[in-house]
Amino acid sequence: MIYGIRQILKYLAGTDIAGRNLAVRPDDTFIVSYPRSGNTWTRFLIANLLHPDEPVTFANIERLIPDSEAQSSRNLKRIPGPRFIKSHEYFDHRYPRVIYVVRDPRDVALSYYDFQRKYEQIEDRYPLEQYVRDLVNGRLSSADWGTWAENVGSWIATRHNGKNFLLLRYEDMVSDTASELLRIADFLELKTSPRQLDQVIERSSADRMRELEEQQSDQWVSTKNKRKDIPFVGTASAGAWRTQLPASSVVEIEAAWGPLMRFLHYELVTNEGLRATQEARELYAK
Amino acid sequence: MFERMIAGVKLALGLHHPARNLAVFPDDIFIVSYPKSGNTWTRFLMANLVYPEKSLDFANINLVIPDPEALSKRTLARLARPRIIKSHQYFDPRYRQVIYVVRDPRDVALSQYHFHIKRTMIDDSYPIERFVERFVAGETSPYASWGENVAGWVATRYHTPGFLLLRYEDMMADTQGELAKVARFLKLDASPERLAQAVERSSAERMRALEKKQAGKWSSTRNTRQDIPFVRTAKAGNWKTELPGAAIQRIETAWGPLMRWLGYAPFSSADGGGMATLLETVLK
Repeated sequence: MIYGIRQILKYLAGTDIAGRNLAVRPDDTFIVSYPRSGNTWTRFLIANLLHPDEPVTFANIERLIPDSEAQSSRNLKRIPGPRFIKSHEYFDHRYPRVIYVVRDPRDVALSYYDFQRKYEQIEDRYPLEQYVRDLVNGRLSSADWGTWAENVGSWIATRHNGKNFLLLRYEDMVSDTASELLRIADFLELKTSPRQLDQVIERSSADRMRELEEQQSDQWVSTKNKRKDIPFVGTASAGAWRTQLPASSVVEIEAAWGPLMRFLHYELVTNEGLRATQEARELYAK
Repeated sequence: MFERMIAGVKLALGLHHPARNLAVFPDDIFIVSYPKSGNTWTRFLMANLVYPEKSLDFANINLVIPDPEALSKRTLARLARPRIIKSHQYFDPRYRQVIYVVRDPRDVALSQYHFHIKRTMIDDSYPIERFVERFVAGETSPYASWGENVAGWVATRYHTPGFLLLRYEDMMADTQGELAKVARFLKLDASPERLAQAVERSSAERMRALEKKQAGKWSSTRNTRQDIPFVRTAKAGNWKTELPGAAIQRIETAWGPLMRWLGYAPFSSADGGGMATLLETVLK
């Protein structure tokens, strides 16, 4: 009840977190992804692309590309359009223009494990195998965003190939940042030069972001009052799961999400994953 | 600001209609469909199946299979569980048990056109071609476009337990057989007599008779034009004679692959590529 009253007062004052109740405008652009899929990096890239005169840091990113799940309704209302907004939401039909970043769920699981320990949502001794099982079955707080496959699938099934939807794979962004950034610029109809793109990539590099995090972690809403011994900017690489994820966890992820992983060209390495894909294909073919 | 104050007070007292912000319980069962796809009929069928001892009509259906858009948060929270809830929402991961009813979008467009006239949102002379244009763009409903609503649910849930896909057209052709699927989904041991009784009690004739008497008592028909019925033709395939060719083509261009997958054969040569790419790839 007390919680209820606080929520209502916040609502009246406009200090409630916007989230799914965000008032969307027709000229908004959203950067959407499941958590731990390269959203912050993409945010830096796009903000640096849009604001060449103001290098992006953790101290100004919330102003340049606000986080709809960290900022209040009032703050977001005050930002003049066209707005660029960060989101982890599953499909929301009101989002007019969407850049969706997807990452191999086997790497997402590893990164999310570190992140939830950083946020003290789970303890260090919480076993990774158990964590992955909970993640796959939607039993963690991450399930607020749907499971990985629900989040990704709900956007791809509804918007992929549409002219206001750009699908980016984190892995492609890591291996060839310049061409993926060019795709972003084309999508946003921004004129750029190779020199400018180089500058954007440099200003958004993992090294620079790590340095900034060290200096500014208390100035950013997502790292303030969180454990400092686990960084927010993680490995910034693709394929860590091959050496770090227990084999049984790989099996569980592929068995649950194999069909969608195959669609996204994430190589399946377990028989369970291949079988799940075959079964889904047969089921949908009926 | 004043509106926000009123909304705030309603929020405080739990008097607001939660709609998409419904507090979901893990044991909730949802009947989901795009609007004008047979949701009300399915609702009556299920209510009559699950509660054979009750006499159901438009005056009490809302408390038996509630509509989160028509009831207050407070009322919804107090209903006996497990609740069976009516919804038109596009994909929501919190819904764990979903019976999804899908209908040929060409018939849906036609039905929604008449419904919008009934609700005086458009007048009798509004061109249907223009309506279909807006329908395809998802502008005639707050529940996304037909394709987004259907594909969002089917792509994420069709291969998982806790999801039952029903086609309105199959329900028309074999109502009792499809209702038996619902009974199995609910793990309800229903005899053929019980199924037949539910079908009988939910017939279009009976619903029409109830609507005549009770249109003023139901949130979906109150304050709408009474010369146009809510329970309309209750038929499949009206689009073939009533929808202009250009409108048919518009719909098929937008959603061709998804329609074909659902067994809605294209009439025109139009074929869309945009929608349901994921489904298509799974099919390959």
